[in-house]
Order: sequence, then C-alpha cells, then structure tokens
Amino acid sequence: MISLIRLRNSMILQQTGFLLVMIGAWEALGAYVLDPFWSSRPSLIAQRLWFLTKRGDLAWHVSATLTEAGLGLSLGAVVGVALGLLMARYAKAAKIAEPLFMGLYSLPRVALAPLFILWFGIGLPAKVMMSFSMVVFIFVLNIVEGVRALDRDPIDLMRTMNASPLYIVRRVLLPAVLPWIFASFRIGVGLSLIGALVGELIGSSRGLGWYIERAAGQLDTTGVFTGIVILVVLAMLANQVIVLASGWLTGGRA
Amino acid sequence: MDGAMMPAKTTLAIEHLEVGFGSAASVINDVSLTVQEGEFVAIVGPSGCGKSTLLKVIAGLVPSRSGAVQMGRLKIGYMFQRDTLLPWATTASNIAVGLELAGVPKSAHAARIAELLSLVRLDGYESHRPEALSGGMRQRVSLARLLAYEPDIYLMDEPFGALDYQTKILMGRELLRIWDARRRSIVFVTHDIEEAVTLADRVIVMAAHPGRIVATHEIGFERPRDPRRLRSDPRFAAMVETIWSDLSLVD
Repeated sequence: MISLIRLRNSMILQQTGFLLVMIGAWEALGAYVLDPFWSSRPSLIAQRLWFLTKRGDLAWHVSATLTEAGLGLSLGAVVGVALGLLMARYAKAAKIAEPLFMGLYSLPRVALAPLFILWFGIGLPAKVMMSFSMVVFIFVLNIVEGVRALDRDPIDLMRTMNASPLYIVRRVLLPAVLPWIFASFRIGVGLSLIGALVGELIGSSRGLGWYIERAAGQLDTTGVFTGIVILVVLAMLANQVIVLASGWLTGGRA
Repeated sequence: MDGAMMPAKTTLAIEHLEVGFGSAASVINDVSLTVQEGEFVAIVGPSGCGKSTLLKVIAGLVPSRSGAVQMGRLKIGYMFQRDTLLPWATTASNIAVGLELAGVPKSAHAARIAELLSLVRLDGYESHRPEALSGGMRQRVSLARLLAYEPDIYLMDEPFGALDYQTKILMGRELLRIWDARRRSIVFVTHDIEEAVTLADRVIVMAAHPGRIVATHEIGFERPRDPRRLRSDPRFAAMVETIWSDLSLVD
C-alpha cells in the first residue's frame, strides 16, 4: 500500500515536471527563437490571466461556457441513457431507426449550429443544444453496447423468481451500464465543451469562445492562447471530477 | 380416507410435452413426468437430449409447442451450471437478491444472510465479490441465494457440472444435507450418472433426437445417505450399470 502511494506520488511528480519543462521550452522559444506575436509566451499568458481574473472577466466568460457545456452534457446524459435503454429494449424499432440514427451521428454537428442559432437565438439555449447534439450520441451508443454486453442469465434467473421489471432494472441493468455511463461522461466532457465553443464562435456575446474569437479578430495571440489554456485546464479538471466520481460510485457499490 | 396410504401430493405434472423452435423438429417429444412433494428427481442423458430445455420449460423461460405443465403457483428456484451471480455485488448482496425477491423484510436480512453463509460454509466471505471466489465457492453463493428465496421447487441444471470432481462430491453432500432438513421437491439435471444415483429418489433417463424419456428407475437407498459409503455399495454399482446400459441401448 505504501509503495503504491509512493508510486503514485512519483508519477504526479514526473507529470508536473514534464509540464514545467514544456512551459519552460515554450517560454524560451518565445523569448529567443520565435516572434511571440505568433506563439505568445507563458509569461504573457500568465499576466493576461491575472488581469482577467482581477477584472472579473475570467469568471464571467468561464461561467458562461461551463453553464452551456454543463447543461448540454447533463441533458445529453439523461436523454442519451433513456434513449439507449429504449433502443436496447426495442431492438427491432432500433434496427429500423438505425440508418437515420447513424446518419445523424456521422453528420458534423457544426453544420447544425446555424440552425440552432436561427431557432434559439444567440443566447444560452442555442449553445446548450449545440453541446447536447455533440454528446447525446455517445451516451446512446455506449448504453446500447453496454446492454448488449450484458450477461442475460442473471436476468432469466430473476424472471423465474418473479422479479418485477423495475427490480431487474435497478438490480441488474443500471449497475451493469454504470461503467458505460461514466465512459460516456469522460468522452462527453470534451465534446460538450466543443459544442459550447462552436456555438459561441458562431454567435454570442460572452463565453470563452467569444473571447477567443474577439482576440483573434484583434490579432491578439496572447488572448487566443489564454482562452485555450483556460479550456485545457477546465477539461482536465472536469475529467478529474468524472474519474473521482466513477471511482467513488463503482468502488463503493454493493 | 382415514389417512392410511394417502397418496403423496403432486408438485409438478408434465403431460405429453412437446417443445421445438420454429419449424425445426421437436427438441422434446411426448415427455410426461410427475414430481411428488419433497421428491428428489434426477434427469440424466447425453448432451442434446433436451434435459436442460425441459427445465427451462418448467421454469417458464422457454415456451412449449403442446402438452401441459401443471405446477400451481409455486416459487421456483432455478440454478444454472454457471453461477449467474451479479459480478459487481458482494456475496451478502448476491444472497440478498433471494431474500428481496422472497419479500423478506430488510431488517431480517443481516441475520438470515449470516445463517445462510454458515449453512454453505462461507462464513467470513460476505464482503467478497465473485471474482475473488473460486468456482466452488461461487456456486455455493448461488446455492445460498437459492435457499434465501425458499423455493417450493428447485430446478437445478447441472449445478455442479463445472466443478472439479472433489468439489462436486462435497457440494452433492451439502445439497443432500440441506434437502434432508427441508424436503422440497428437486428436479436435478445432470450428465453424471453416479451423481444422479447418489442424490435422487428417482432417476429419469432421457435420449436425444428427439428428446424423450427412455427409462425411469426408483433409487431405494435409505436416507440420510452418505455419498462416500454409498459409492462402495454393490447395489450402487449395479444401478449405475443399469442406467449405462439404458443409455447405450438407444445410441
């Protein structure tokens, strides 16, 4: 146990070290080799971050993007899990809908952005829908796959014991698809951010997408990189939350 | 009607059962069988003789083509060759499935689970998950779950078939011990003739293509039985030999 903790600590140390080396290299390149106009520099980005934080702009934009992505992800999870369970339950209907479903899944969802803006305006709902359209398929496909991989024998056994469908869902189906739901969340975090960003890039008045778009318009590379750095950090944090939540929920379930 | 020679109560009556899938030939053809209350019936036969399918029809998992299965409203306890435990659930939680489906109040679960664990000799394993248990232990958890449900009839489909020889003998002894104490009806499917003769009151011999009953043998050995001593009994060897010849006659 102790050696395990030591191993993990040394891994964290190495990960941090790697990150610092990369940042140092970027800084050096920006200072001595490249024109920071194209690639900016970590020190400039840090200054900008500090400035944005002090003025409250950071919270203003981050909260907008996170709300859009978070709502889109949640909606995608609820609708996707329900739809996935239905598709697994009614295999024949699912088969009929499959070509259309796969067509929509393969469609670059960016193409829907103008439509959502037309329907919902440039406010929050359009971005939530954009984000939702990115993640919902992930949940549906994962759940369908999870149910397909399910061992049928325990269900048959419970049927002979007169178990209600609700009991089987609660005791077998949901615990069996739980890891698949978490896998969907892990993929969905990044995708929901993409959805929110795309929505913001196309039409908005706040959010990280809007900030990046405006900075680029002013040839403000540091502004663009600042937005990107914030996004990377957000995605990393969100991923950590999902990993912790899944470990906590699947490790402690009985 | 003064109690003298009261006929035993029938738990299960199967009449002229025919089972098949689609337009294919029957898997089971004209099988009739009755099981009395508290009777231990074993069904032996080669693979493909429909003995497992017969159990599934009795349990309502597979529909029949014609014929009748009469069983009243009995609580069925089914046991597969595979353990069919929930892989994410602990031993205690897996056994609790039987209690939950039997409607045992939650407050009584802990005590009942402890009791069942010691009955199948798994004390101390309540918080292990199936992956941490051996095949024999997993099958004992399945048995405990089955017992927790308190079925009126046990339908057991080669429950010890996947276990090594020694564990199989031990599990058979456990089953006899538990059955002696409770005396529920058991229909026990196996391809192991010695196991069938050791455990059952009656051995039904089935043959394949189509699945049908070719012989029935009453096993009159006194109870309670000691499986080890029984195996060295000449009557035991003679009975096993008789069933072997039943099987080879039809092949």
